[in-house]
Amino acid sequence: MDAQEKIIKKKRLKKPGRERRWKKNWAIYKKNILGRVGLALLSFFVLMALCSYIPPWIDPMYQPMSGVDPEISKSTGPSLRHWLGTDFMGRDLFSQLLAGARVAFMVGISSAFMSILLGTLVGMISGYMGKWVDTILMRLADIIMVMPTLLVVLILAALFGQLNIWSIVLIIALFRWPGVSRVIRAQTLSLRHRPFIESAKVSGASHMRIIFRHIMPNVLPLSFLYMTFRVTAAINIEAALAFLGFGDPGTVSWGMMLQWVWKTGHMFKAPYWLLPPGICISLITLSFYMLGRAMDEVLDPRLRKEGERY
Amino acid sequence: MPLLEVDQLSIGYDTSDGYLSAVSDVSFSLEKGKSLGFVGESGCGKTTIGMALMGLLPPNGSVRSGRILFKEENLLGKSDEAMRQIRWNEIAMIFQAAMNALNPVHRVGDQIAEAILAHRPGVSKDEARHQVKALFEMVGIPKNRMKDYPHQYSGGMKQRAIIAMAMALRPKLIIADEPTTALDVIVQDQILQEAKRLQETLDISMIYISHDISVVAETCHDIGVLYGGQLVEYGSRESVLESPFHPYTKMLLSSFLTVSTKRADVVIVPGDTPNLINPLPGCRFCERCSYYEASCKLKALQYVTISPTHKVLCSRCG
Amino acid sequence: MDIWHFTVRRLIQIIIIFFVIFTVLFLLFRLAPGDPISRIIDPDMTPEDATRLMAQMGLDKPLWMQYLYYLKNVLSGNFGHSFYYGKPVIEIISDRLPNTVLLFTTSVILSAIVGVFLGKIASWNKGKRTDTFMTMGALVTHTLFLPWMALILIWIFSYKFSWFPINGMISEDVWLDPSSGVVRKGLDVLHHMILPLSTLFLIYFGSYLLLMRSSMLETLKEDYILTARAKGLKEKTIRNHHAAPNAALPVVTSVGLSLAFSINGGALTETVFTWPGIGRELVFSVSNNDYPLAQASFLLIAAVVLFSNLLVDILYAYLDPRIRY
Repeated sequence: MDAQEKIIKKKRLKKPGRERRWKKNWAIYKKNILGRVGLALLSFFVLMALCSYIPPWIDPMYQPMSGVDPEISKSTGPSLRHWLGTDFMGRDLFSQLLAGARVAFMVGISSAFMSILLGTLVGMISGYMGKWVDTILMRLADIIMVMPTLLVVLILAALFGQLNIWSIVLIIALFRWPGVSRVIRAQTLSLRHRPFIESAKVSGASHMRIIFRHIMPNVLPLSFLYMTFRVTAAINIEAALAFLGFGDPGTVSWGMMLQWVWKTGHMFKAPYWLLPPGICISLITLSFYMLGRAMDEVLDPRLRKEGERY
Repeated sequence: MPLLEVDQLSIGYDTSDGYLSAVSDVSFSLEKGKSLGFVGESGCGKTTIGMALMGLLPPNGSVRSGRILFKEENLLGKSDEAMRQIRWNEIAMIFQAAMNALNPVHRVGDQIAEAILAHRPGVSKDEARHQVKALFEMVGIPKNRMKDYPHQYSGGMKQRAIIAMAMALRPKLIIADEPTTALDVIVQDQILQEAKRLQETLDISMIYISHDISVVAETCHDIGVLYGGQLVEYGSRESVLESPFHPYTKMLLSSFLTVSTKRADVVIVPGDTPNLINPLPGCRFCERCSYYEASCKLKALQYVTISPTHKVLCSRCG
Repeated sequence: MDIWHFTVRRLIQIIIIFFVIFTVLFLLFRLAPGDPISRIIDPDMTPEDATRLMAQMGLDKPLWMQYLYYLKNVLSGNFGHSFYYGKPVIEIISDRLPNTVLLFTTSVILSAIVGVFLGKIASWNKGKRTDTFMTMGALVTHTLFLPWMALILIWIFSYKFSWFPINGMISEDVWLDPSSGVVRKGLDVLHHMILPLSTLFLIYFGSYLLLMRSSMLETLKEDYILTARAKGLKEKTIRNHHAAPNAALPVVTSVGLSLAFSINGGALTETVFTWPGIGRELVFSVSNNDYPLAQASFLLIAAVVLFSNLLVDILYAYLDPRIRY
């Protein structure tokens, strides 16, 4: 049997099992009401994010940042022309809300993805290498864990001036990995002395190879379970930052919409402006949260209803 | 009339895969001051029987049919509150110490006193403390360890404390579920001797539940062998140990004897425990049995009475 | 190990962590792009004052000397000179610190206690309507966006109903009135505190509720709960005396871990309600490029978080005999 045949055979053997597992997991997930509601809400926000590309094509007036209605120069209530009304300089709130969905996904997912990768990497190295590497990395994790991320970003904004959206994403990621790394470290520790790792060691595989080829596939599903919660954290930190006036001035985020309504003194007279962005931030957080809890139940059999005693 | 008489008891669990019959038509009785041992592998239903006697089946478990007569009253008809009064007061339990049977955040002495205070409203806290002191002396734990927490005890001491707790209210019946599992052999022996001594001096009836036939052989007047939820052999200690009839009992005994007499090859009882979701109408052991015949699988089983104190559930023994 | 050994060990760890933060912060402020001296010397200062401050901070010396100077200054309570207020930073932060501690500790303690209590009830009614209602409620309030929640509360309760003051911590007329006693002043602060406290409470109690609920459900599967049932104890005793103390342990750990989040929320709340605390001062100083004040505020907030962590650890050791003995 030549190498190619082997690979083909391997694939053929692997696929049905994986598919069945996915189907089974999906079946469990579907039964979970939280998961269904979360997914529905999330699809709604995805739709919003996709629609955010539409307004400028219709009329430059609907450009969320620079578009200004020529006939309106102050905040007005909802109308046919502006479904949610306009902000203090006549910009369309609905387009801003749609653009905010795009920013939220971008910030949430990219920052969560980076922090998960970093956390997984640190956790695997720490757990696999042990000794002083483990001590140093885990002490570092302890320190970062007690740091209030929002205030850290604030201090960095003071030092480095206006931060753009990507540096905000990066900083959030850099400060949100310790939680994941602890879990992954524990998982790696439990894998370290399993026969397949020992045999890889004996056959002369390098540390790098063992970590990436043998340990990583086993811990990655667990890391991604944590991703949903990191997404919500990142979205909230970015929104809070924008709310405080330290957001990227080149983007419209929901936090920034709230900052405008607050700072321009419209909060008592413009509920059409105050309510939508807050509801959106809260609901997108809720939907990711529900998704995470539902996935928890799928991946952690202990949490399932059946077989539970007392 | 015996202290405990269990009649045609069947218990099952509702699981996601279907109804699991954990115990099927089990009958036995226990006289005052005597002891009975149940042996079998995990999943044979022995713990389920113990929990049913205590009225502590998990929410998805229920008694399907049968009677549990304790002091001539059927426990299955009792209300929750009545059962609560009976627990520990009349029927107590000795748990495996390796389990977390003692609450880690409370002092061991307090956990025993709690049982006394819960069932004896007239007893003051001081009196309860004195009683605990006496119990500690009885099982051989130094009194000054009363104020310690469970994690400060060794395995053997925890087991003694659990025995002391079971004796606290002088119950009529004690169920010991794997009382010595996970203890080393010397401690195991001490504990069993201790329990036996206490049982005889206090005239308590005991039910031992174990996967290890040697534990039961050492301590019990009667022995019941459980397989797949059925009581496959039941009789006095002498008759079961000296003339076992059921092939499963023979297997258990052969592995026990080889271990205890000479260090020969340990006989491992091969095969898996049977699937109890849709059990066979006939013998549940047939797939692992060396005397298997085609008819075993289909014919409904009847107990074969070998002597007044010995019965076997096997179609090949008659 | 007894509780004193444990406390001392944790204290040493916490001091080390504080020094790491202290050092990193120092390096960031000295090495960030731009002129570090401009971040220490107020541009509006007279040249004489500026020279004196330069000497005090050792700014003409090499970096490691500056570090020692800074350390000495901070230990003797000299955090530099605020650009915005034009007075020593120590005066401002020592004025703000108690206000933050008041709001922060009350909100953390209140939300943890209520969360644990409700979580216990929810777990006990698992699957029933009470449980569904509580779990859903906790999920929703916990995921609300904090500053928005604060604005909504102000809008409803201060603006529409005028039940509570819109901002601040004290009413001047009460505090300037020489006839008003401690009780009147205290009630005035409480009146101002209710909305900020409710904001923090509403956001944070939910996570403790959810955690306590799942922790209780796990604990109820433990062997010692079976023992307690076998002992014929009343269900109430089993729940309150056997399950709850064990189930609360992971919640206490989580309170410690979430202190950093709570202080984030605290800073946002202080800013929205103009509560004169140290978190608001940090936000404010960053907007005003008041570097010495920002640096000191951050350091102090880190100290508050670390110190509360220590308190939580001691509480944990007190609750769990496995650590205490």
